[in-house]
Amino acid sequence: MDKTKIAKARPYILLLPALTLAFLFAYRPFFRTIVNSLYNLSIIGKRLSFVGFDNYSRLFGSGSFQDSLSNTLRFTLYFVPTNLIICLGAAMLANRKGKLASLNQIFMFLPMAVAMSSSMMLFKMMFNPSIGIMNSLLKADIQWFNDPKAAMLLLVIAGVWLDIGFDFLLLVSALRNVPTSLIEVARIEGANPWQLFISLQLPLIAPTLLFVLITSIKDAMLISAPVLLLTEGGPFRSTQTLVYQMYLEGFKSGNYALGSAIATVVFILTFAIMLLLLRFEQRRVYYQ
Amino acid sequence: MKKLVPIAATILSLVVVFPILYAISASFFSFSDFTSIPARLFPADPTLTNYTRAFAGTHLARFLANSLITATLGTIIRMAISIGSAYVFAFYTFKGKNLLFVILIATMLLPSDALLIENYITIRTLALTDTYLGIISTSLLAPVHLFLLRQYFRMVSREYREAAIIEGCSDARFLMTLLIPISQSVIITLTLQSFTSIFNDYLWPLLVTNNVSMRTVQVGITMLGFSENLDYGPQFAAITLLMTPILIAFILLNKNIKESVSTRFTGR
Repeated sequence: MDKTKIAKARPYILLLPALTLAFLFAYRPFFRTIVNSLYNLSIIGKRLSFVGFDNYSRLFGSGSFQDSLSNTLRFTLYFVPTNLIICLGAAMLANRKGKLASLNQIFMFLPMAVAMSSSMMLFKMMFNPSIGIMNSLLKADIQWFNDPKAAMLLLVIAGVWLDIGFDFLLLVSALRNVPTSLIEVARIEGANPWQLFISLQLPLIAPTLLFVLITSIKDAMLISAPVLLLTEGGPFRSTQTLVYQMYLEGFKSGNYALGSAIATVVFILTFAIMLLLLRFEQRRVYYQ
Repeated sequence: MKKLVPIAATILSLVVVFPILYAISASFFSFSDFTSIPARLFPADPTLTNYTRAFAGTHLARFLANSLITATLGTIIRMAISIGSAYVFAFYTFKGKNLLFVILIATMLLPSDALLIENYITIRTLALTDTYLGIISTSLLAPVHLFLLRQYFRMVSREYREAAIIEGCSDARFLMTLLIPISQSVIITLTLQSFTSIFNDYLWPLLVTNNVSMRTVQVGITMLGFSENLDYGPQFAAITLLMTPILIAFILLNKNIKESVSTRFTGR
């Protein structure tokens, strides 16, 4: 009797570590963040009093949050298409056979091997306006950290560099999976490279392209650590993003309630975008 | 037109790899190489002083040790939990199996960056700040690993396992002598991926460590204090030192990496 009971309990016992972690570091913080955004919190995170949507009205009324929201959306708007075009272009160019092509491919995915914080330190030194290498290579005097437009551009460049390795690999392997027999037939029929791309390759790599699109939108909406390392939100808050402001409120000002409200806004935005894209996917993308 | 493609590809790939090559070159610069006009791409007189300076008087060695310890420990626990849970989902039948699976996999959808504040409060309440366990705590559950391993384990038929169990083979032995060896390739890929991702993590280790001696290297490397004084040499040296082993691994394993990406996302 006892033995069968133990045998029945066995799978649950084996799953206990994973379930505990999921509860402790995913679901509990998720729900607590949402609930806490409706409270006044002490500096150690204890609930003091229920304030309803006060944190949100304070948030939406503050210039700092409006900047964060518009900067995050602007960054997403600049970054996502740039990243997609560059990665797809790189994959199209490198999708060949031979030694040189293989070297091209290795170079394109190597940025993946460099850790985010190391890469951002590299960028910070290379883009230093006075002694960095970039301004002298470009023969320009761009104030990368003092000019709001240049700082946003720098953040987009850094974002693309951080993502290119993985996105390139995904797209190049999708392109390689397009059957060569189909391409041959299209060529014999007289299709030019552009027609080949639009009517044959593009529909066949669409699922991968959609995956890259979704992950890059998600990455863009959540960008924070590169901001912290590269621009610290400046100049004049022009690169302060939502999650970066959440970090500032939570860890620099000890304002957990406002931080939780920002985190909740981030949850809603990311979920909304994913739902939208999934609906779009059901209608437009043809599967293999 | 035919020749244009390789040329364009080469130019683009050189632009992409430029920061890496420049960092390696600049790690051998002398102080004056950084300020010379026009700017230099290669050192005038290669020197190793940047490397000695990166270690002397900094905690870089300690940071590295911390990262190696947390990445190793984190990877072992993460793989053990992933393999164990995947095994249960692949071979056991029990009430609520599908629900529990969905509960674990759905954690993928919660953006971990937005959970930072609450997770930090949890770790502080458990008095785990400035500990190795605190640093690895949020990386121990890997839903993607769990999902992929379950797929692999399912290739072995259930009857096969039941027969082995009736013959007196324990779950642990079945895992060790049969299941893990046949899933070797996916386990190696996931182990490497876990190690690099924990080793390279930045924001979470930054938040849960206040004590300098507990910092991981990716956090510590941003606080060496050289670049703030425009003393770039030692900073480039530290970065080069840190990225070189991973660069070499990526170049050597480039075929495996390409394959694992294509199997993971196209399902072939």
